[in-house]
Amino acid sequence: MPVPWEALIPFGLVTALFGAAGTLLNVSKRAQNQGKPPRYHIDSWEEMMMDRDQRLTGHARKQTSEPVAPEGFETSSVWYTEKTQ
Amino acid sequence: MNSFHPGESSSHPFREPAPLPSSIPKVNELGATSAPLKSAAFFIGAYCKEFNEDFMLCKAENRDPAHCLKEGRRVTRCATDLISKMRENCLQQFEAHWNCLELNNQEYPPCRKPERVLNKCMFEKLGLVKSIPGTTPGQTPIHEVENPLYGRMQK
Repeated sequence: MPVPWEALIPFGLVTALFGAAGTLLNVSKRAQNQGKPPRYHIDSWEEMMMDRDQRLTGHARKQTSEPVAPEGFETSSVWYTEKTQ
Repeated sequence: MNSFHPGESSSHPFREPAPLPSSIPKVNELGATSAPLKSAAFFIGAYCKEFNEDFMLCKAENRDPAHCLKEGRRVTRCATDLISKMRENCLQQFEAHWNCLELNNQEYPPCRKPERVLNKCMFEKLGLVKSIPGTTPGQTPIHEVENPLYGRMQK
């Protein structure tokens, strides 16, 4: 009796579509993080450092090892304030 | 003193454009971002130990930012000096290590190979050794263990 290959089509479809969805998600995440895997388990210290990286380079994931900061870095920090009354 | 005042976040975060007064000596801020700093962390600890300790002791006295400006300037200058020296002497190994860190959530365990290469270069050129404070005396430090049990943090 010949192999029922039509029965294997759904398996192939499911695998291919799971793979496509996963790949799309991975590519989207990497595109948001400049080609690198996203950061996870970020605590307040890391958030602060990533905000500092943003002030130094313009993007939270872009890194540079220059010894001296660019002009305007000293005054670029922001304070999140709250109005009471 | 007992009434409730509901708060609301302001629509614009506050930014102070005025620089420090000219009576305070100007020191250029360190331009290295988080991954190179993490890579150089233990070397900054070894090279700038006295200045760092001074600063921490000063902060322990009084948390007011104005109190520790002088010690802070010394820390910044020392760290800037070390980063310049590292870039001058061991640029390839330094870049390799912090690029590896960036690909691994800035965790040390996956990047031991580039780290060993960097440590060797730093020891040869600048005489600095990475030592983890607080390791029990008999134990090998974790960065020298050949086949560690634990790897990177699970996502």
